Order: sequence, then structure tokens, then C-alpha cells
Amino acid sequence: MPTERTSAENRVEVLLPSLGISVVEGTIVRWRKQAGDAVVYEEPICDIATDKIESELPAPATGTLVEILVEEGETVDVGTALAIVETDQERADAIAAQQASVLDAAYGVHVQPGEEGAVSPVVARLAQDLGVDLATVKGTGAGGRVRKQDVIAAAEHDKLAARYEPPPPVALSHMRRSIGAHMKRSLDTAATVTSWIEVDFSAIERTRMEIGTTALPIVAKATLQTLAEFPDLNAWIDGERFTRHETVNLGVAVAIDGGLIVPVVRSAQELSVLELASAIRDLAQRARSGELAPDELADGTFTITNPGQFGTVMATPVISQPQVAILDIEAIVRRPVAVEDEIAIRPICILGLSWDHRALDGAIAARFLGALRARLEAWGGG
Amino acid sequence: MQLTYLEAITDALRCALRDDERVFLLGEDIGVMGGAFKVTAGLFDEFGPDRVIDTPISEEAIVGGAVGAAIVGMRPVCEMQFADFVACGFDQLVNVAGKLHYRLGLAAPIVLRLPSGGGVAGGPYHSANPEAWFVHAPGLKVVAPSTAEDAKGLLLAAIADPNPVVFMEHKGLYRRVRGEVPEEPYETPFEARTVRDGDELVVITYGAMVHAALAAIEQLDGASIRLLDLRSLEPLDEEAILAAARDCSKVVIVDEANYSCAIGAQVSSLIAERAFEDLDGPIIRVATPDVPIPFAPELERAVLPSVERIRAACEELLAY
Repeated sequence: MPTERTSAENRVEVLLPSLGISVVEGTIVRWRKQAGDAVVYEEPICDIATDKIESELPAPATGTLVEILVEEGETVDVGTALAIVETDQERADAIAAQQASVLDAAYGVHVQPGEEGAVSPVVARLAQDLGVDLATVKGTGAGGRVRKQDVIAAAEHDKLAARYEPPPPVALSHMRRSIGAHMKRSLDTAATVTSWIEVDFSAIERTRMEIGTTALPIVAKATLQTLAEFPDLNAWIDGERFTRHETVNLGVAVAIDGGLIVPVVRSAQELSVLELASAIRDLAQRARSGELAPDELADGTFTITNPGQFGTVMATPVISQPQVAILDIEAIVRRPVAVEDEIAIRPICILGLSWDHRALDGAIAARFLGALRARLEAWGGG
Repeated sequence: MQLTYLEAITDALRCALRDDERVFLLGEDIGVMGGAFKVTAGLFDEFGPDRVIDTPISEEAIVGGAVGAAIVGMRPVCEMQFADFVACGFDQLVNVAGKLHYRLGLAAPIVLRLPSGGGVAGGPYHSANPEAWFVHAPGLKVVAPSTAEDAKGLLLAAIADPNPVVFMEHKGLYRRVRGEVPEEPYETPFEARTVRDGDELVVITYGAMVHAALAAIEQLDGASIRLLDLRSLEPLDEEAILAAARDCSKVVIVDEANYSCAIGAQVSSLIAERAFEDLDGPIIRVATPDVPIPFAPELERAVLPSVERIRAACEELLAY
């Protein structure tokens, strides 16, 4: 049962409410407000009696009681309009704001900044830990207070702003400059392309265990045999002149203190695996002890480099000028591979060949690597 | 399965009654009628009058009977019709159950379910949050879930616990909160839960105020605010509270309970004692003032911590 009804804009009728089940009428006992009086929402405006109860009737809105429709002592039906209140929104808002401020005073939380320059415990601690001078920090908190975030931001800023001072440079060694010039000249000169092939080293591993060498002399022997089938790779190129060699002077890259040196095994195609092993070992030892003669570094026609002992699996080696190709042997790694329709664990090595596109084309390089793989995978005996 | 907070409590009771024959329920009108809030609806029919027991209107008898049953090896779960009425069972709970192990070396594995909280126009006798009384008394544990999932897990953990556990279930959440609840029985540890992460400010609360705080935080777009739901009030998850205070350096604590000596006062004291060096502002508490809960909805809304009051407290502290 409604207790009010809006009859026109800002005019609200006050209705006699139902004051209980089976109560159908009520009597106005007394008007507490008269026409023209200001009223506040929920403020009692009159007393009503029924046969069960006597009760107060609250104002339905804040405004002015403009008209009384039922006089004291009269009995009317539930739902009858008793009076009209003209609402005053401005006054209602003002009262709501006043109530809000009373509530705020009672329950509101207000954080008061400390006196100027006072810092919180975390700001004091962080400033000390991070080496921030608080006098230089601009606070972004209430009243310019320095906050935790401000100290952290200041420390970050100090770190970024500090200039990096590198240690003084030192001059490159003669060997470094020489290697650098040689490598840069090769890359500037050759049209270098690198091709890779995966090789199953099972047979090589078996053989090297039997004869007690590393894989290097066996791969070297297989390479020399394969070069006989692909003589265009055992060659020099110098501008527009191409030299194909009958004999293989095999360069073997050796890492030495402070650089790299490539001694040469002359007429390497004549040597057996064990002879190659012995020759390479001898050259490498003398390279490290600085005892090589100048002619032992000259006249290479093809080069092998073997950095795989450190675990790397691929590289793009730089061709030693004026040769046309270099073979790179990387780490032998046990991998799951497909053998027919089964998965097997095999020692796999990726061989890389950098070659000069001025001297030859990809088909020859690919066929060379394929033939080398076939030879290595079928390797038997020494 | 999707359950309301209330259904999750019923489900936990059903799981416990099925899995452990020592478990039984007792309370006023919890049997045939299914409880004033229908939390035990259906359990009388399923488990019978020996395991879902209607008691006289005497909280002292309910708690006292439960203590006796626990001593002989049962696992009683008592319902107070409203948390307010636990006052009538106070002596049996605080002086008998809480001190039983200390005095006699006897376990008292009883659970007291307290339908608590305001916001439902219940007036001064049906709206209380009396958890601090029991946190203050030695020998009792107190937990207060805010979600359906935690309601089931914390209640099962409470029933399994060998100590008396006061289980605060918020009436305002009964049908308002709903969530995914695992079907099988599980126990939720008596530890705090990070509702959402953040590092500029942390709001620490529990129960229905978790939802009010979340609504307030969502209105503060852009600020990195953490929300910690305590879940267990005794024991208090001190590590989680201190870690949150250290990370965020600004703390707002919300209690629906009356301000003085509320759980939030204990949390505030803990942070002041052990995380002082990490604070970047005063610890702010939002709570119900020390008045009874008024009957009129307008007045009740005015005294209970509102989303607006929590948001205003966060805003002021963030700006500090």
C-alpha cells in the first residue's frame, strides 16, 4: 500500500497508510505541522489512530507542507490523500550534505601529514640503504611529503644518470691484428656460402677407439679421399685466375695462446690415418711452443678447422685466402635419430663447408658433403 | 559444482556426516525444520534424529553437551541460531572447552557454527560479529570464510581439528556469494589468502568485508592494491600479514566488527611491532563504531563499513 503519490512536478500527496492487516480506515488525531510549515523527510507530521494502534505519519519528502486535506478528528479510508507536500530539492540536498558531514566526522578516516621534513620509517631506511639524499628528493605525497616511491625513483634516476667509465683500452697484439686483417680480407673478397650436413659417426667412433686416435685424422683422411673426386674444391682463386691442385697441402687450424695458426701437412693425400694423426699432432705441438718454420704455414690448398671439442654444433668458418673451401668439424653429440622406422641413439656430428661462390656452385659443395658423409658412415678399418 | 556460500556449508556438513560416524549436529530447530537459515535442510532426513539433533533453546546446554560428547570421542558440530546468542553458551565455550586440554590434557574437537554479521536489517540482537571475544580467549581457534570454496574447506578442516573451532559464517553471504566448489571433501589450511596482488597498498580484512574491499579497490583504477583475506583469525597468519605490509608499506585494515579490540586491532599491533621499519604511512582502520547494530536500514548502512568509506580510506592513504 503506497503512502505517497506524486500528483505533479514537486507536489507529493501524503496518503493514509495501512497500519495493519484488516485495518481499512484511520482517524487524524492531531496535525503536528500546519500548512506553510517546512518539513524534513521522515519527520512526523501528524498522529493517526486506528482501532488497533496510534501511530506517527512521517513526511514523504523534504519541502513545505502546502495544504492539509483532512482535518483533525476526521476518519477516512486507507489510501486517502491527507496533505500535500511541495518538495524543495535544494534544501533536501543541503540536509543530505549536512548529514554526510556528521557521518564523516564520526566515522571518516583522515590521514594527517606530519610536520614538514618528517619522514616515515621506510623512507628513512630506504634513503640510507640506497644512498639517496632526501634533501634533493621532490615529494609527491600529501603536502609534498616524500613517499617510498619517491626514494626508489630517485635511486633509479641516480643509477641511470651516472656516467659509465670504461677501463682504458690496450693495443691489439701483432697476431690479433694479422688474423683480423686476414679474416676481413677473406670476407671482403670471397662470396662465402656455408653448407651443413649431419653425419652418423658410429663407424668413426668405433674405428678411433680401435686405433687410439681422435676423430680428426680419420675425417681428414676421408676428406682427402673425397677431394680426389672433387678437385674443384682443392684449389686457389685469385681474381680471374683459378688454380686446381694435384696435391693436397692440408691446413689444420690450431688454437694457440692469443690466437690461431694454420700449419700445413704437405702432400697429405699420401699419408695413412695414423701418419696423418702423427703429422697433425707434431705440427700442433710445435705451433703451441712457437717452433714452426715459416714454410710450414705456407702453400695450403684446403683447410680443416675442428673447434667441436668445446661442444658447439655449427659455425660459419672463414675461408683462408686464396683457397676456395674450408671444412668445419663440430661436436659429436649423441642424439635420437630415425634409423629406418626405429628411433635410435647415434653419435651425430654436423660438418660445415664454407665455400666461395666465385669458384664453384652449391651443387658441387652439396655433392662433396654427401660423398664425404657416405664415406664416413661406411668407414671400416684404419 | 557451482554452490552458494550456504550450500557449500551444507555440503561440508553432509561430507563430514557421511565420512565420519563420530560427527553429529546439534542446535535449535536444525532437524525437522532444517535450521533458521536452512543450512541443515535435508540432513535430518538423510542421517536421522540421532545425528541431527534438535535441542531445547539453551545455548549453554548445546555447547556443554558438545563438550561432553567430544570428551567421549565424538565430533559435535553445534549451530547457534544467531552468533549473538553464543553469549548464553559463553561459560561452556570459554571456560570449559577452551581450557579442557590445558587443565586435563583432553582434546575438545567441537565446532561452533556462528551465523554472524549485519547488512540484513537484523537489528542489535541478530547482527553481531563477536569473533574477537574468542580470539582473545585462549584455547579456541576462529575461522571466517568469505567464499563458497573456503566455506566448505574451512568447515571440514575445523571438524577435523582436535581443538574447539569457532566457525564464523556470514549471513549476508549465504545466498549472495556463489562459486565453484570441488565435489570431493577437502580441507582448507588456516592461512590467509591473497585475493589480488599489488604493491602500493594492502587492504587486510576477512568475511563479508572482503567483497566490500574488492568493490572499493576496483573503483580505484590504476593503483596497485593488494587484498589479503585472513580466513583464519586464530591462529593469525602472521607471515602473510607481515610480508604484505613489507611489500606495500601502506596498510588499510577493515573490520565489520566494532572498532575497539577487533581482529584488525591485533593485525595493526602486529604490523606496528614487527614491520615498523617498512611503513610509509599510518596504519588505517575502517570498522563499525562501538555501537549496537541499529535496526533501521539507513542507520545500519551508516555504521557498517561501506564500499565508499573503504575507498576513501585507500585514496587518502595512497595520496599520503
